[in-house]
Formats: sequence, structure tokens, C-alpha cells
Amino acid sequence: MEGLSIVAESTWKDYKEKKHARPAPLRDLRVLEVCTLVLGPSGPGLLARLGAEVIKCEMPPLGDTLRNMAPFGYFFREQSTSLIRPNPNKYWLGLDLHKPEGQQVFHELAAKADIIEENQRPGVMERWNVGYRQIKEINPAIIYVSKTGFGQWGQYARENRPSNDGAAQGMSGYAWMSRFPGRGPLKNKLYICDSYGALIAEAAVLAALHYRERTGKGQYIELSQSEGIMRAMSWVWPYQQLVGTSAMPAGNRDVCLCPADTFRCADDTFVAIAAPDPDEFRGLCLAMDRPELADDPRFTDHLTRLQEDNAVEILRIVADWVRTKTAGQIEALAEEHGFAASHLYTIKDVVEDQHFVARGFMTEVDDPILGRFLDYEFPVMMSATPPKVKWSIRPVGFDNEYVMAHYLGKSEVEIEQLYKCGALGKWADVRGRRPPSNWDGKAGLLMARD
Amino acid sequence: MEQRPWDEWIRERDDPGIARTQPEALDDLTVLDLSCKSFAGCYCTSMLAEFGAQVLRLEPPQGDFIRTCSPYGLLHKGEGLNYLTEGRNKLHVTLNLAKPEARQILKGLVSQADVLVETFRPGVMDEWGIGYEVLKEINPGLIFASITAYGQFGPMSRSRMPDYDNIVQARSAIQYATGEVLPEGTTYDERPWAVPTKAGPWIGWVQAGTFMAVGILAALHWRNLTGEGQALDAASAEAYACNDDWAAVWYQGAGVINERFGSLDTAGWLYCFAPTKDGAVFLGGLRLEMWQAFADMVGKWEEWGAASWKDLSAFTEEAMQRKWAPLVFAETGKYTNEELVGMSVAYAKKGRLAPITPVVAPVCSPEETMHDANWLDRGIFTPVNDPVFGELVVAQAQHKMTETPVRTKWVCRPVGYDNEQVYLKYMGFGPGKLKELKQAGIL
Repeated sequence: MEGLSIVAESTWKDYKEKKHARPAPLRDLRVLEVCTLVLGPSGPGLLARLGAEVIKCEMPPLGDTLRNMAPFGYFFREQSTSLIRPNPNKYWLGLDLHKPEGQQVFHELAAKADIIEENQRPGVMERWNVGYRQIKEINPAIIYVSKTGFGQWGQYARENRPSNDGAAQGMSGYAWMSRFPGRGPLKNKLYICDSYGALIAEAAVLAALHYRERTGKGQYIELSQSEGIMRAMSWVWPYQQLVGTSAMPAGNRDVCLCPADTFRCADDTFVAIAAPDPDEFRGLCLAMDRPELADDPRFTDHLTRLQEDNAVEILRIVADWVRTKTAGQIEALAEEHGFAASHLYTIKDVVEDQHFVARGFMTEVDDPILGRFLDYEFPVMMSATPPKVKWSIRPVGFDNEYVMAHYLGKSEVEIEQLYKCGALGKWADVRGRRPPSNWDGKAGLLMARD
Repeated sequence: MEQRPWDEWIRERDDPGIARTQPEALDDLTVLDLSCKSFAGCYCTSMLAEFGAQVLRLEPPQGDFIRTCSPYGLLHKGEGLNYLTEGRNKLHVTLNLAKPEARQILKGLVSQADVLVETFRPGVMDEWGIGYEVLKEINPGLIFASITAYGQFGPMSRSRMPDYDNIVQARSAIQYATGEVLPEGTTYDERPWAVPTKAGPWIGWVQAGTFMAVGILAALHWRNLTGEGQALDAASAEAYACNDDWAAVWYQGAGVINERFGSLDTAGWLYCFAPTKDGAVFLGGLRLEMWQAFADMVGKWEEWGAASWKDLSAFTEEAMQRKWAPLVFAETGKYTNEELVGMSVAYAKKGRLAPITPVVAPVCSPEETMHDANWLDRGIFTPVNDPVFGELVVAQAQHKMTETPVRTKWVCRPVGYDNEQVYLKYMGFGPGKLKELKQAGIL
């Protein structure tokens, strides 16, 4: 096996070192986004990692609302800490879509775009004359995506309800079941309905792209972030239908795998363990020095072991055992006996994990404005066309001149007129909008550096 | 030009009720799903199958272990509920890859396939002589997708540890940073719930599967451009960890490790779950005017001095959040969920800052969600009439699309249900040959 596994290694040899010398899979695509916060921009952010050219349109001078957001008020090199992950590799256009001249610029860009993504409330894009019905007259092959809380039609859309990730965590049942029994509902730390909504929408975008390559036809796609996360909740719905009750909160216990839970160690840290498969379970029993448990009729078969009384009993046995060990000891035993275990990673553990770094998952960005730091790579490594993060976020309207000249061939005089009428604009002198104070006035600019 | 209201116009074109009459985006693709003990693999190929790809789900003769991974061991007509939801639109066949003859059959299928998805530990496919380097000789356009715990390369890639959802959540730093805060001076023994808390659904596995589906479709675009196939590698923990929005940068910039903050939000205000008379609501006001609108909506415009607030990000600071959260909760506690939601909708029409209004959304149980008329109307819970498993609710129609909408045509099949059809169509094996292969333990 050792000799043979070298074959797979040859596919991935020096992947991280060579990835910037290889093409990106979506390099021929152009995307326009009119997106704010996380649900909207994260999708085009994924396409940008895959090599698409993404032009992010923001309302000058304040731009994306996400620019307000920062953990306990901490701004990373004077930029919104939250803005970074959803927005790599983009071109930043400060464009006022309230203005007819701004709408005209958008139409000109849309005529040359493959994909448009937006997350305004239903009907807003149409009021700005850049809705799907207007754009498809200019570019019938456009793939136009709207992501919102409640979709484009139905009662909640009609009531024009605003939404956030937390609303979707609440309304989908996701938060209700993700807590300990008897406790109040718990909001997940992740904006999971935003980021998952953005991700699953891209599956539709790329499927639509394939269809367009076959037929030449574009289309309109809408996604509700609540419906996106409901799709991911799997057994919860047939369970509701068949049993007639909600999927109940179960703390850290996985009620579909047994044993699978998070346990407290001797030193009051925590370790997650999973050993549901027969061989893995036998391995865990050996590690616990309780081999007879593997043949106990309550535990031998996975379906039997999953039943409430049996599950509670085996989890109690494992919990008592873990209480005498450290997480490191458990991890070593898991490796030896072939079941799964991991201490609970902190963010420090993730950023500094040698495996993540060696794979280039934690990938270094050497940004002309923000400097060097590690960002997350697109988490599918592609042997022929590696995704990559190349540059990071920019102040509002930072790339106006480049976008106007490069994509639309506008002269300096024309660009000047667009500034004059307010269609184009740049950042306000506000934290999170303007460049860092040590910016030299040139770094990162693509045009007009002098 | 006559202009219908947008919501009516678009519903006429993307209501899931008409999906069956529409074309399918991926109905020219054949996908081999060899995934083993992995919900991520099943979910990945479901994404493709919902868009019309022909997915051949290949399992060992006794069926994949993942079929048994069902809540409390509950089965419906002999099948686990997770597998039921992700068997959709696939043909379920058996192939015992432990046998050399079966691997020859796999090569025959590979020559006719566009995508292969596998979740074996790195090296297993190579050991069997059906790794990417071998299969690409048979089919250079093949997109060969692997989803594993640690990925195909890197120092941990030879780990023996299998890939499970709760481990993914543990390795992402998300679980660590989610949960109730343990008050100072109390212990875990007193408050065993005030610990790092994972999400209930299999979100780690779902993330890995969905990311791989997106990766496959990006690779498909590249193949459409160049004819070139490739190998894809996803490690589940990476596919979940990468959703974190600010903790990694915060740590690098300030050396701060993100800790649990209950149902408040470390990086945003107004952004929390708040208790009510009969449960809890989510409150969102990430623009200053929305936070002001909330204060106004609960009658505190004057008392809280909302008109004088200038900078929202100041409210994000920890001390400010700890100061303001109890004040907000005292107000929300006076109302029911329904009353608060109604107040927000009404404020958008008549409030001082209308149409600006705070986000107010009820925290629902799955039961409430599944009976919400809005979602029922949008088709997400429309039952599927399955010839084997009867009328079953699996979430579907999450994308509304005007040309090639997703659809769920059937939910699942028992082990080996489609052997006859698949092996006749792809390999020319009739009933006689099939019987021989079965007896030899190859299928």
C-alpha cells in the first residue's frame, strides 16, 4: 500500500507551490455584484477565488454595510475585519444606482457580463432599472441571481420583511435544535445561513452556466437563505412528518451516529469522538480497555446502539473514560485504533495548524494595501485549475478608473463627468471606508497612480 | 409596455409547481457516486442529481453503512432517514470493489462517466488500482472528486481517522466559539450546558458536499473550455472552517482568540436572539437607522437618546453589548413573538424612520417551520410521491429557477434496486450474467 499510494501523491505533488502558476477554472467569466453583508458578496467571492472577474458595485460613499462590522470593535489594519472573507480578488466600483447615469453604466457593464448577483429586497433592482426584466433585454444570456431572506414571492416577500442570517437560523428551526435540552435557543457563531445560502446558490449558478454552454440560454435564479439551510437539515423533515414531533435539541450528541459526542477531559478541555462503524466501535472499546463492550448485544449493531437507552449508556461509559484522559491522549488512541477524535480547535489552532498550512488551505495573501496575512483558500483543491486568493478588500470606489477604462473604454473626460453627476463616487472619510492611514496613495491602484 | 408586478411575473416563471415541465441543466452528465460512510458524498451527488445528472450510486452488496445513520435508529420502510433524503433521483446499484472483477466493471463505467465521487481514505483507490492516475488514462475528461477527513496530501493525509460531522465541527473552531458563556465562579458540573456547542444538523458534512458540488461544476466549465478533466480534493473540516468571517483575522491582527458569546454577536450590533413572553426572536439592525428604529419601535426613542447615536460600530464593543443587551431583553420580554414581528412590519409602514425597520424574526421549532404557510406556499416542503417509500417530505426546490429548476423525482431506492437497468444499459449485462456476478459476490 505504501508503494501504491505514491501514485495519488504524484497528482498533488507541490500543489501549493505550483498553484499560482496554473490557470483558474472560471477565468473567462465576468460577474457583476450589487451585494451587501455576507449572504450577497460571499457567492461572487467564491467565483472570484475560482478565477472569475468580479466587479463589486457599492453605493458611494459608504458602500457595503458589512464595513461597519468588527469583533468587539476591532478593525484589521483599519478595515472591517468581517469584510475580508467574502470579498477577495474583486474590483471595487463606487456606483450610485439611484442616478440614471449610474444605471446607464450598469447597463453597459451588464451587456458584457455573464453573471449578475444581488441581494437587495425584492423589487429594488427593478426600481433602479437594473432588474432581471430590464437586463435580459440588454443581455438575454445573462444568469441573474437574487439571494434574500424569503425569496421573491410569497407572504413574507410581499410584506417586504428584512432578513439577516440570524433570522434564518431562527425561522428554519436550525437554532432551535442546536442547543442543550431545556435551554433557550442558541445562535450559532457562524453566519451559517448567509454563507451556506451563498454557497448553494453558486451550485445553481454553475449548473445554469453549463446549461447556457449547451443552449445559449440564460436564466433567473432566486434563493431564500432560510430555504437554503432547510435543504441542509436532512432528516429533520421526514422525522417531523413520520414521528409528528420536532427534531429535539441534543446538545453535542449526534443522534444519528453512535457514539458521537463531545466529552470533557481530565483537564476540563473538550474532545469530540466518533466511532459508529463496527470496526471503529471495536477500536474505541479496545482503547477504553473494554473489548467486551463491542460484543454486548446492546451495542454490537449500530441501529441498536442508536436507540435512546443504549446510546445514553454507551455515551456515559465513554464520558467516564474521557474524564480520566487528556485530549491529546484520546487523539493518539484514536489514530492507533482507527476511530475519530479531535480536541476542539480554537481559531489559533486553525490558523497555525501545520496540516492546513501545508495544504495551502490557510493561504498567505500578500496584499498591496493590507500587507501579509493568512486567509482561507477555497476548500476544494483542483489539480489542473487551483482556486486561489490573490488580493483582498479595497476602499469604496477604489477601482473606478480601471473598471471604466478597461471594461467600458471610457475616457478621462467621461469619467470626470460621471463623478460630477454623482454616478461614480469614492469612499467617505470614515473608518472602514477609507484606506489605512499608512497608505501611500498609490499601492494597489490599477490606474492613475500619478 | 404592460408591466406586471414583479412578484407575480417571476412566480409564474419559477414556481416549483411547474418545474417538471422545464429542462434540466445537467441531464447530459453521468456521475458515479462511490462514496462510503459519508453523508458529504451523498449530499454532493444529490446536488448534481437535483439538476438532472444521472447519478449511479455504487454500494457494497450489503449496502453503505451510512444507511444505518438515522436518528435514534429509526427506520422508514427499512431505510434510515438521512439516506432517504439524499438518495434522491439516483439509481442505486451494488458493486463490491473489494473484488478485482468489480474494479474492471468500474473501469467500464468510468469510460462512460463524466464525474466520479469517492470518500475512501487516501490511497485506497490507488491500492485497488482505480486511483485517478489510472482512471484518467481510461477517460482523460474525468472529474475525479475525493472528499475525506484530511484531504489527499499534507502531513495528516495518511491518518487512519475517519470523517464524521461532529469531528468536522470540532476541528473548525466554530464549535469552540458557539455556546452559552459559563459565568465566572460557576463550574461545568453545575452548568453542563454552558460549554462549546455544535450545530444539530450535519452542517460540516453538508458544507463539504456542497463545496465539492461547486468544485465539480467549476471543473466542468473548465472541461467545456478545454476538454481537460482533473482531480479534486476536499477535506471536510476545511470546507466548514472557511465560513468563519472574522476570527482568523482578529487573531492574526490582535492575538485574540474568539470565545463563546452566547446568543449575542461578537462582531455585530444589533444582532442577537432576545427572549420574549413565549419564546425568542432574532433582532437585527446592522445599520444605525435600524437600531434606532428598534429603539423607537419599543418606545424608547427619548429615554435611550436614540437621536444622538452616531456610530454603530461603537455598540459592537464588548462592554457596550453587555450594557445594552439586558435593556433590549427587558423590552422584548414584554411581548410575544407574534406581537414583535407585527410591530416590525407595522413600523416599516408608519414608523418615524419608515420604511427602515429592524429585522425581527421568530425562533421556530422545526414543527413550526414545517407548518408555516409561507414556506408551504413556496414548495420547500411539498411531499414527494415515491414508488417505494410512499409520500415523503424531504426539503426540496430550494433554488427557484426560470429555465432549469431543481426537482426531486424520487427520494430513494433500496440497496441494488437498479442493478438490472444500470448494468444492462452501461455494461450489456443481461439477467443471466447478472445472476453469475451476484453469485460470485461481485455485485
